[in-house]
Amino acid sequence: MTLFRSAAVLSAAALALAACGGTSDDTKPDTAGAPVNGGTLVYAVNTEPTNLDPHASPQDITGLFTRPVLDSLVSLDDKGTIHPWLAKSWEISADQKTYTFKLREGVKFSDGTVFDAEAVKANLDHIVDPKTKSQLAAGFITPYAGTTVIDEHTVKVAFSKPHSPFLAALATAYFGIESPTSLKAGPDALAKKVIGSGPFVIDAFTPHQGITYHRNPDYDWAPEGSSHTGPARLDKLELKVLQEDSVRLGALTSGQVDGIASVPPVNVKQIKADPRFTLETRQAPGGNYNYYPNTTAGVFTDAKVRRAFRDGIDFKTVIDKLYFGIFQPAASPVSPATQGYDKATETAWKYDAAAANKLLDEAGWTGRDGEGFRTKDGKRLTVRWTFVRAFAREQRATLAEQVQAEAKKIGFDLQLQDATVAEYVPRFAKGDYDLADFSWQRADGDALRNLFDTSSITTPTFFGQNGSRYSDKEVDGWLAGSLGTTDNAERAELYAKVQQKVTDNAVVFPVYVFNYVLGASKKVHGITWEPQAYPTFYGAWVTK
Amino acid sequence: MRTVLIRLGSSLLVLWGAITVAFAVLQLTPGSTIDAILGTAPVTPEARAQIVSDLKLDRPVPEQYADFLGRIARGDFGHSYQLHDSVTGAVGRELGSSIQLSLVGVGLAFAVSIVVALLTAHRRRSVRSLSSGLELIGVSIPAFWAAILLLTIFSFKLGWFPAAGADGASSLVLPAVAVAVPLMAIFTQVLREGLELALDEPFVATARARGASDAFVRVRHALRHALLPLVTLVGWLFGMTFGSLVVVETVFSRPGMGQLILHAVEGKDLPVVLGVVVLTSVVFVTVNILQDLAYLIIDPRLRGAR
Amino acid sequence: MTAVALAPPRRRRALRPGVWGASLFVGLVVVAAVVPGLLTSGNPGAADAVSALQGPGADHLLGTDANGRDLLTRIVYGARPSLLAGLGATGLAVLVGSALGLVAGLGGRFADETTMRLVEVLQSLPTLLLALLVFTIAGPGTLNSIFAIALYLMPSYARLVRVQSKLIGRSGYVEAATSLGLGRIAIVVRHVLPNAFVPLLVLATIEVGLTIVAASSLSFLGFGPKPPAPEWGAMLSAGRDYFAVAWWVAVFPGLAISLTVLSITVVGRHLQRRLEGRPS
Repeated sequence: MTLFRSAAVLSAAALALAACGGTSDDTKPDTAGAPVNGGTLVYAVNTEPTNLDPHASPQDITGLFTRPVLDSLVSLDDKGTIHPWLAKSWEISADQKTYTFKLREGVKFSDGTVFDAEAVKANLDHIVDPKTKSQLAAGFITPYAGTTVIDEHTVKVAFSKPHSPFLAALATAYFGIESPTSLKAGPDALAKKVIGSGPFVIDAFTPHQGITYHRNPDYDWAPEGSSHTGPARLDKLELKVLQEDSVRLGALTSGQVDGIASVPPVNVKQIKADPRFTLETRQAPGGNYNYYPNTTAGVFTDAKVRRAFRDGIDFKTVIDKLYFGIFQPAASPVSPATQGYDKATETAWKYDAAAANKLLDEAGWTGRDGEGFRTKDGKRLTVRWTFVRAFAREQRATLAEQVQAEAKKIGFDLQLQDATVAEYVPRFAKGDYDLADFSWQRADGDALRNLFDTSSITTPTFFGQNGSRYSDKEVDGWLAGSLGTTDNAERAELYAKVQQKVTDNAVVFPVYVFNYVLGASKKVHGITWEPQAYPTFYGAWVTK
Repeated sequence: MRTVLIRLGSSLLVLWGAITVAFAVLQLTPGSTIDAILGTAPVTPEARAQIVSDLKLDRPVPEQYADFLGRIARGDFGHSYQLHDSVTGAVGRELGSSIQLSLVGVGLAFAVSIVVALLTAHRRRSVRSLSSGLELIGVSIPAFWAAILLLTIFSFKLGWFPAAGADGASSLVLPAVAVAVPLMAIFTQVLREGLELALDEPFVATARARGASDAFVRVRHALRHALLPLVTLVGWLFGMTFGSLVVVETVFSRPGMGQLILHAVEGKDLPVVLGVVVLTSVVFVTVNILQDLAYLIIDPRLRGAR
Repeated sequence: MTAVALAPPRRRRALRPGVWGASLFVGLVVVAAVVPGLLTSGNPGAADAVSALQGPGADHLLGTDANGRDLLTRIVYGARPSLLAGLGATGLAVLVGSALGLVAGLGGRFADETTMRLVEVLQSLPTLLLALLVFTIAGPGTLNSIFAIALYLMPSYARLVRVQSKLIGRSGYVEAATSLGLGRIAIVVRHVLPNAFVPLLVLATIEVGLTIVAASSLSFLGFGPKPPAPEWGAMLSAGRDYFAVAWWVAVFPGLAISLTVLSITVVGRHLQRRLEGRPS
């Protein structure tokens, strides 16, 4: 599980996600030849959902597991345009507070329940119901005021204030429409099985093992712009949980599975060179994998010390070496695939150990103790880093050990304090740490609001992503402004200002840009991508 | 008969002790008992209050203890709020795969060591030292190390066997060998020593004098005697196999008890950990009773003795 | 001096080359654990991204790991936690086990029954399960693993000492000693412990090897010393992700475990034969 691993919610429907779409490798899957119906696709993933209900779960993997089963009211393409799906059309009121949807007719959930206005209301109400304990979805429609059923196929959703990110949020699997009958079964049942109207139907979900689906033969409501219409091409789809990197890779190379998520960077060259496989990479949008210094307590309250840490560690070399060029060193808190990415951050700071040492001297950390760490007034320059090793993907633990050794060179005593999630959450809420690490995938610049807005600071009652616990009136103002406007250029300008300010103040230590690296057998075709860099299987097919 | 009853009584005592340890753990875990039970599972305040009253956690400790014993007696080993399932349900789902792996692994170790012991007992020094050399290597290669080597060579490099999971017989081969390697060493050693003792017995000489072939003597006469000491290894075997299961299932990403308990420990899912503890001691006690009964059947002289 | 002579006359025999080699290796491991600086001049924590995953060669005899740390240095420094776990857990088990055994053997029937039932409860749980139970309550760590393994080893020592004390209790020495005005504790110290010493030592030597395996398994599962501290089981675990491109990262720590356990077992068995008077 992870509270952070996740959350790719797209915002601001009107925005074109110009930079999105990511980078595609030259070894794209060969889609030549006529698609074949039938067959089974087995795909191995590196994490698993602890709760299958996307309305409740904060994990991005829940989205991947439920997308085959759940349709949404609208869909979002990788250009950032909203298309009709279960909603035929919609109107937004002049004050931008109400959305009226005309729903598609003839749609049925796989349990036989008919899709109608009541179903939409039941789903949205379920998301915000405190009993659902939504850890993500509800947070993206906080001004939600209620849903009114106008007639069988018309529904009106009201907000207490304008909320432009609504349509993009609706397009994600976290707002997937579940059968209202199944919602009545309660959280425990939903955690293990969700029923929707999608191209696949869940056979069985087994924790720590995976999930199996079969084709929904009645499916006839694919979103506009899909590769085909009608039922899915695969008879069966299976997602297998293989957490061990070496085992997942071995399962692919020994032919046990047809495709795998997260090819370990160290093995990318090997897979590329193997004629049996294809490799595709997608740059994930949103917050990079970053380190967040606690700006409210400890040594990182001093901006000079923060800058010294960021500039005194050769992140670029470390990332290049450790990830073999598969992940790029990050410059901004958000990835280049994010709407509003500010290219200027790439030249705003660079590795300079001498300057870092000078900054630390200026900040008063002039002493040295027996182990070579800097001291000030007899106190060691210690950074406490609460690290959840069990959930560290992508060799993050190896990276952490490297950074620890690099930090020692400029006099930091970086202490990795291992914690379980149970121990981590209260510490994070209290701000009882000097450094936190996570990535935050989300397709547009609004991710910056999650990361740096005062209202995103975690409290005992609210879980937010402002790991730096950064609070700045100017930044808050720019971020609020970005919510109030739909003008693309204007928002990009505001986001650039935010990125510049947090970079100047070293409020974040950008680490690497995450690439989703998918390795698959050559017989697999037609896997498509969601805008948040996740594969979808509706159009997938396998040659015999 | 009296012996059996005494033995049974003391086994039940051991079981009661294990259950009491489990209860004590729940009470002694820092923080409130309800937090210990819920672990990291997100639960609404209403559900939480319901659990407190269901498990009588608001009652005095002796009453909680009586209730705890009562629930276990009824076969209720608790509920995991992280797995959204009862402990027996979760264990039941994983148990089959683990039992399958253990049986095949132990069986393999047994078969190989019988053959090796038969071939090497009382043979030339060079043959024997080869065999004891192999035994030593078996002892000094931990199961996880054997598992990684097998996985790398036979799955990643040669592609003969699948790397992960539990689909079909071919996915069982490598994990079973990994489980068998450390067992084989001890089995062979015990069997060989037993065989050598038996081969020195007068009845063997008698058999040989009657013209029985060496192979016949070894298999028909000596082997039976040599198998007896293996029965004493049952308790050890049980613990050893359990330990191997956990690491081997991890390396091969194979579902089973090992994965269940590891995830439970990582997630602080105390009901599952304690449920497995109690269930394991149930199995252990049962195995021990069977072992005692087996002794009585094999060697009637023990019937009068305590 | 010793009242009951259990150890038969010792035979002098030349050590076989295998035993010599094993003793030498055990000695090397002990040196590595006590003064690692004698065997390597490197620093086990010296990470250097630029020289990551270099194969065995002149610069790095056994190659480097993903962090560019010298494997030989890390393996030398990794001897300490392994040996510490092996000796620590065995030592703790001998101490507590002997104490329980004495209580059971010399105390009354009630003390005997209670202690032995407790020992049986402990024995009914596999080592690993016992260790995981300890980790669930007290969290992972070196000390907790030592404690958990000791819990599991303890019963056999308790049984051994209990039998010894019963034997001595019946042998008439206690009465004789008591009549000489010696207290019970003095009797225990003077008579029971020296007699139990040889079998205890034999059992302990054999078990140190198994204990190292148990401790490294726990580290392998992520419950051992905290990285970046070098520990063989943890190094092997980290190395398997790189096996396809850098076999040495996993293979050398694995060899270190195997060779150490092998050597200790060979020495232990030799010692056992010597002390029990069987031909070597």
